[in-house]
Amino acid sequence: MAHPDAQMTDRRTVIVWGQLAAHAAAHGRRVSIVDVCAIAVRSAELSGAWLAVARDGEPDFVMCVTDLVSEQLPELQLTLGEGPCHDVLAWAAPVLAGDLADAEFRRRWPAFTPAARQLGAGAVFAFPLIVGAIRAGVFGLYRGSAGPLSDGQLGDLLILADVATMMLLGSSDGHGEVEDGAGLDGQAPDLALHRAEIDQATGMLTVQLDVSPAEAFARLRAYAYSQDRRLTEVAGDIVARRLRLRRDPGQDGGP
Amino acid sequence: MDTQLLSDTFVDLADTMVADFDVIDFLHMLTDRSVRLLPASAAGVMLADPRGELRVAAASSEEADLLDLFQLQNDQGPCLECFRTGQPVTAADLTGPVQRWPRFAQAATQSGFRAVQALPMRLRDQVIGALNLFAEGPDPFDPADLRIGQALADVATIGLLHERNVRRRETITEQLQAALNSRVAIEQAKGKLAERLGIDMDRAFAMLRDYARNSNRLLTDVARDFVEGASADFPPPQRRRPTR
Repeated sequence: MAHPDAQMTDRRTVIVWGQLAAHAAAHGRRVSIVDVCAIAVRSAELSGAWLAVARDGEPDFVMCVTDLVSEQLPELQLTLGEGPCHDVLAWAAPVLAGDLADAEFRRRWPAFTPAARQLGAGAVFAFPLIVGAIRAGVFGLYRGSAGPLSDGQLGDLLILADVATMMLLGSSDGHGEVEDGAGLDGQAPDLALHRAEIDQATGMLTVQLDVSPAEAFARLRAYAYSQDRRLTEVAGDIVARRLRLRRDPGQDGGP
Repeated sequence: MDTQLLSDTFVDLADTMVADFDVIDFLHMLTDRSVRLLPASAAGVMLADPRGELRVAAASSEEADLLDLFQLQNDQGPCLECFRTGQPVTAADLTGPVQRWPRFAQAATQSGFRAVQALPMRLRDQVIGALNLFAEGPDPFDPADLRIGQALADVATIGLLHERNVRRRETITEQLQAALNSRVAIEQAKGKLAERLGIDMDRAFAMLRDYARNSNRLLTDVARDFVEGASADFPPPQRRRPTR
């Protein structure tokens, strides 16, 4: 595991974001989850990727696939009711199955594992698109050959999973598109998403606004964006009870 | 040194690990005991996220000031140093004229701390986290304290990676991410409960934890159900969840 180095991680986040923006621009569109899937496959040297939206804690609707096998793998899991994507949503943790020939995976998914290998998958990796209790979906990837991810590949995929999560949770059009070139919410991509205040503020807003946690999180980000302030600052004000949001966004303001 | 408390602590920690247990609850108990056993007034467990960040998994107090001090160490501080080197790192006096981590020293002294100790959590060649101890006086830890502190850090590692034997290197990543995601759900639940009842985060955490223990459920499940549930009432209505 790489030693934590905030500056290096920031740098990596910016590089990954640059790759996404360049990929989208080359195809004449805004950055979307299609680009996330494509960049993930390219930078981690994988064979394919898919993104499934969760409903009631189960993988449900597949939003994006990069090839035929990546279309079949999530379908297989939906049909069989088992597989890495189910485990990812149930336990809110990634599943890194670097070698499907390993007996451990045969035991874990007795129906899925042989079927996936028959489709040509030697390794399957799946990442939660989850923020605490908000389960947005699963990011799945496969490689024809077996083998683990390198530390760098794993780090990039986690950053891409974060981007995909923000897209799923922030898109009003449901297509997971964000503005050209800009970072998430118009802010420079940073590590702010993993600050406790943001999670605490999200929880507080579910009560203040009487909305789901996903909507509370979206409102928090929308407010920060509209005020051109950093998410952590706004979250800090809410936690310190210096700021309350109202059900009618026009009336947001002091305590 | 309260040797009875010391041996009781290890018995309690071992007992907790027998059944299906909540790793964040477990780590919280460990930070709590660290403060009672050692001349520390606050303690926290920080974990390395494979993205490259240090993230707080548990702390002896849930107050924002303390959590900020842990998070600040993503930029500089004994904890970051401890991660990078895999060695214990001591800041014996944060008030001296020459500080190795000036911004961290300033923030820590403002919060009333004068010394910090970071102890590595290692599995074989991998550093997965660190136990951080904060004290109000200078040079508080003697060699015996540090040995006990390291033993607690080692137990934290065992607890964290409990569920499967760590045959695959990837399992460590999976377990760390699960623990960090649990922590996020608990933060969201703290926020919801604090807002609902007009209480502070520390009190909200204690209520969630006590409810989980009394109803024999995992803290993380209680937190997720409460945050996901449409009702802001607490205790939350029970829902079924698959067992591992």
